[in-house]
Amino acid sequence: MAASALANTLCRNPTPFFLCPHLSQVSAPRTKIKIKSKCRPRILTKSNSILATYAVLSDPFVLQIAETLEDSVSSPLPTSSPPSPLKKLRDMSSESLLSHSWPSRKDEPFRFTDTSFIKGSQILPIGSPPHESSLLSILADTQLPSLVIADGYIVNSLSEFPALPDGVFVGSLSNLSSEAAMKRVLEFLSNFEGDLFWSLNGVGAQDLIVVYVPEGCRIESPIYLRYLSIEGSEDASNELPMSNPRVLVLLEKGGEVDIIEEYLSGDGSKCYWTNSVLEAVIGEGATLNHSYVQSQSLAAAHIKWTSVRQESDSTYKLVEVSSGGKLSRHNVHVQQAGPDTVTELSTLHLSISDQTQDLHSKLILDHPRGYSRQLHKCIVAHSQGQAVFDGNFRVSRYAQQTDASQLTRSLLLVPRATVNVKPNLQIVADDVKCSHGAAISDLEDSQLFYFRARGIDLEMARKALIFSFGAEVINSFTYAPLREKAKSHIAELLNPKFAASSL
Amino acid sequence: MAAAIQVATLHQLSRPTTAALFTLPSAPKDGIFTASTHKLMPSGSAGLGSNRQRFRRLCLRSVTASVAAIDYPMSRYRHDEDGKVLLEVKDLTAVIAESQQRILNGVNLTVHEGEVHAIMGKNGSGKSTFAKVLSGHPDYEVTGGTVAFKGENLLDMEPEERSLAGIFMSFQSPVEIPGVSNADFLNMAYNARQRKLGQPELGPIEFFTYVYSKLDLVNMKTDFLNRNVNEGFSGGERKRNEILQLAVLGAELAILDEIDSGLDVDALQDVAKAVNGLLSPQNSVLIITHYQRLLEYIKPSYIHIMENGRIFDCKLGRVQQLTLRRYLLQKFTMPVGRITSTNGFHVLLK
Ligand SMILES: Nc1ncnc2c1ncn2[C@@H]1O[C@H](COP(=O)(O)OP(=O)(O)O)[C@@H](O)[C@H]1O
Ligand SMILES: [Mg+2]
Repeated sequence: MAASALANTLCRNPTPFFLCPHLSQVSAPRTKIKIKSKCRPRILTKSNSILATYAVLSDPFVLQIAETLEDSVSSPLPTSSPPSPLKKLRDMSSESLLSHSWPSRKDEPFRFTDTSFIKGSQILPIGSPPHESSLLSILADTQLPSLVIADGYIVNSLSEFPALPDGVFVGSLSNLSSEAAMKRVLEFLSNFEGDLFWSLNGVGAQDLIVVYVPEGCRIESPIYLRYLSIEGSEDASNELPMSNPRVLVLLEKGGEVDIIEEYLSGDGSKCYWTNSVLEAVIGEGATLNHSYVQSQSLAAAHIKWTSVRQESDSTYKLVEVSSGGKLSRHNVHVQQAGPDTVTELSTLHLSISDQTQDLHSKLILDHPRGYSRQLHKCIVAHSQGQAVFDGNFRVSRYAQQTDASQLTRSLLLVPRATVNVKPNLQIVADDVKCSHGAAISDLEDSQLFYFRARGIDLEMARKALIFSFGAEVINSFTYAPLREKAKSHIAELLNPKFAASSL
Repeated sequence: MAAAIQVATLHQLSRPTTAALFTLPSAPKDGIFTASTHKLMPSGSAGLGSNRQRFRRLCLRSVTASVAAIDYPMSRYRHDEDGKVLLEVKDLTAVIAESQQRILNGVNLTVHEGEVHAIMGKNGSGKSTFAKVLSGHPDYEVTGGTVAFKGENLLDMEPEERSLAGIFMSFQSPVEIPGVSNADFLNMAYNARQRKLGQPELGPIEFFTYVYSKLDLVNMKTDFLNRNVNEGFSGGERKRNEILQLAVLGAELAILDEIDSGLDVDALQDVAKAVNGLLSPQNSVLIITHYQRLLEYIKPSYIHIMENGRIFDCKLGRVQQLTLRRYLLQKFTMPVGRITSTNGFHVLLK
């Protein structure tokens, strides 16, 4: 808190100034500031920012993005100040941002994930919502009521919800009237330290979307969040419009809800950067079923954080299908905050073009009797395609009788297709049941022959088997229409002909 | 112990004849069979008409250097060798692709339209390999000989082309295909066939109606279609599933590899009933089995015995005839009635 207070004062300082290295100590004690080998003093013309103060300590590229982000969030509504939690989020994020430099391949979390494509672009934060007319065609297929978030802005006119139970809130923080809920939002906002991208999102978030489920409340129909990326540049240009959608889910004791996050693209081939964060706090005995579908443009960057805190007896289930993006990275962080939790993570990543699909997940078990299952599957079907998986379970010495298993299976369908998997269990407790496994393969010849012996040609057999490999994850979607949609989307990706004729 | 002895005797049986090659003799006519049946009737048996039904002849003939066949004159299926040749295998040799180990050592077999043939023989004799080579399994490489199916060179065809040409092989151990439902799998296979025939394909719902009508044949419930192909199926369910596929897809030549193993009597009868229901004057079946019991339900026109990668040779000397009798008796409880050196030999089934 001290740090953010300081940030506020610094923000108001109108004159540009140099910062001495010793000032690094003013940041929160947990923050580690990386000091670049050479502290080159820099004069920044934009001055109404704490960022300027730390300029010499931080990665200039990061600062540059942060500055443009700050501009984008403050410009459209100069008079109305953002609601205080949002302000708090931005300040906290600005500050933690300073401890990060742009990741390189030398940093372990990015050893296999090349982000230079973003770094080499001119990043343009999207400062205003898109025109509604550009959304209608994309949303035409929806029959399901949903909350539409375009380029990080809620589009109220296109959003609709079935009647929600009393006390449930879904929408922009600025419309949250319940004081009790607001208090909880403040309590849990950015309740976690992510990486650079996490912080960039906090700085650049135009809005905070809140899903609040009061105690004991069970919501029947899913809360469907549809994220659209409309603004985008042509592949050849160097510009990368960036949006920073941010969601906070608060489930009070015994609450239960299904949340669907679907990331779509306006135009299949545009370049943009979606840098998204969802935070969830799952109260005692509460259940969150989280479905996440990412089918953005194959030229886009999609970076996503999902950070979950699980109180005792709570359940968190994630089912993910990601097929879009030139660079797609999902960071999942699940922190156990009490015993007897259930955590299930099922993910399917597809690299069907020269794209990278990356899942970094971390599950921290600090309490007894946690039950967790992780299934990660990826399919790489392009010689320049890549999948990355780093799955970490940390079972501390307090987490006795943990029952955890992790399985990753990769299907490499073409020569030179790449997968980097690093399943890892760190177990300190002694009374636990933990297992993990990793398999990387091509399709089974015996299965292919079975198809062929029944008159189905090799190509179709391959597609059916690839499809079935993915179906194991897709079938875990609890919501049937989403399941069907994901299936037909994957079938379409694999082959339009196949989708139409056979399944 | 008994098994070991059999191995030895069969080696003796086949050894002297490996070098001998015979040309295809003219087919025995029905009349000859009938005559020999009369001779084989046990003395003291009552009325000819009723007892005739109880006798079946085993005819081991030297069709080529390496064919032994048991003939059933009472069979309701044709074994008319003037009928069209459906499958003609000549001197087929094959190796395991990976190790180049030779498994098939010159197989000869001719199947006419409407015939039911059975191949018997002990484990490891190459029966499944023969079936898989016919269906184009990539684990094996054909190194010699010819296979003609309906006059065309089968060995030139891809596995799926062989299937579409009318060959159906039921696998001895069908693989599981997680994630693909039985209904979808059958639908894909059915539509592939329809495309080949230039017929309209069926969508999932129409197809379900069509396939639903076939479920009774294999005595299975509807949920069978929703389950993934062979996933978690019992041995019996897998076999029924193979027959269901055969019923849905049809075939001019069905090769049933140990379709009877692992089945209880009820399941065996279901499977046999389904296979019999599919037989027609045009459709032929090649049954591969260990046991005689299936042959009590599906009556073959010929029985062949496979040994050491070839179909049993039958230019037999006296000692070999005796050992063959003993072998058939012990292994298949088939009492051998008479063996003649010119005409092959006729065997009575119990
Ligand atoms: N794919 C294979 N790889 C290795 N050995 C094989 C393979 N297929 C067949 N064999 C060997 O070939 C012989 C014949 O096998 P098989 O045709 O399955 O016999 P049967 O069906 O008569 O029991 C056996 O010794 C078997 O182990
Ligand atoms: Mg076999």
